[in-house]
Amino acid sequence: MARVRRRDASAFEALYDAYHRLVYGVALRMLGDAASAEDVTQAVFLKIWSSPELFESGNFAGWVVRIARNRALDLLRSKSRNYDELSDTLPDTDQLEERAFATLDAARVRNALAALPADQREPIEMGFFGGITYEEISRRSGVPLGTVKTRIRSGLRRLRSALEGTVTV
Amino acid sequence: MNSHESMLESVAVYALGSLSPQEAQAVRSHLKTCEECRREYRDLAPAAEALGYSAEACEDARSGAIAPPSPLLKKRIMAQIRPNVGEIRAVRPIVWPAYAVAAACVVLALVTSIFNISLNEEIHASQSTIAQLNANKTQLARQLAIQRLEMADLVAPDSQRYPVENGQVVKHGSRIYIAMDALPAPPKGKVYQAWTLHAGATQMSPSVTFVPNSGGVAVVPLPGNGSAVVAVAVSVEPDGGSKQPTSKPTFVLKFT
Repeated sequence: MARVRRRDASAFEALYDAYHRLVYGVALRMLGDAASAEDVTQAVFLKIWSSPELFESGNFAGWVVRIARNRALDLLRSKSRNYDELSDTLPDTDQLEERAFATLDAARVRNALAALPADQREPIEMGFFGGITYEEISRRSGVPLGTVKTRIRSGLRRLRSALEGTVTV
Repeated sequence: MNSHESMLESVAVYALGSLSPQEAQAVRSHLKTCEECRREYRDLAPAAEALGYSAEACEDARSGAIAPPSPLLKKRIMAQIRPNVGEIRAVRPIVWPAYAVAAACVVLALVTSIFNISLNEEIHASQSTIAQLNANKTQLARQLAIQRLEMADLVAPDSQRYPVENGQVVKHGSRIYIAMDALPAPPKGKVYQAWTLHAGATQMSPSVTFVPNSGGVAVVPLPGNGSAVVAVAVSVEPDGGSKQPTSKPTFVLKFT
């Protein structure tokens, strides 16, 4: 990113090569159509090029997923009025110690997610990729609000345990 | 379940990004004062962030993952950030200087046998630098042309100027500019966003986001044809902008 800040186009190209599948995958999973997902991917990378200072430090992959998710959420909200208003950004970690899994790969996370019980995996996927609040998850699934929250927490804890051993601070 | 256990569950939903803005704000405030909840957040946030990886596209169709985007997407993006990419690629294939320099390297190596000079690399580095400079030059030329047009609009005697808080809005023909000269920096994670109201519309439309420079100056051309714009406003919004204003506008200007 330091080279991208110095307007190094080849560094930007390398960044694209490394992360475009992640950005595009998240957008496609959320939006369901390739054209919109490509639009989001383009918007995310042009944002990185035009405002590289927005990434200060820490987990770049997590940051770029966050931007992709927010862009996709904007599109989802503009397409449908059936979405509850969500926070514009994922959690603000300004005051918090940042951690990230050091050696993640898609297959490993997919396997960990697939290993969750369906009643935990589903609300987590609905929240993250569906871009909806837990109230909306409760309404759509017919599961009581408190149960949805409990299952999300339990699922994230299990996911954390499954990915454990690769945590960096 | 006690109320704190319920808060811990809210922290998990917050880490997932599935709380409403109001509840998210309440959790943020609580996190500032509760070590146990901070620990819970630190434990669960990486798991939530890792979810994105499960959707990562993959070339291997057998993996069950999403197929990657079209290679044309990369070309489109690179064309936008490096408009003279063709010039750069035209420069790179020139190989004869490399041979000449390689021969010179051999001679120098024989004569001196002291230094292992890789002039090839230097040539490549120089070519890369020249290509980068060319790219910068083209980009600067385009920016300069745009800035000249903007400057002409801003100082044109027939431009209409509307004073607003911290600056003015300038309208020249169908182009509209927000020109701020004492705009405080937005809070961290926030930007200023312009809004426009078109004739006949009942709601403001989102326009560009911007931040002032360290001197509080921001000159922002509003995109699109401004002929039909009957009002302009600016508000503070989360980075990336909003579809609807989420804060009280710093100003609302109705063109008369």
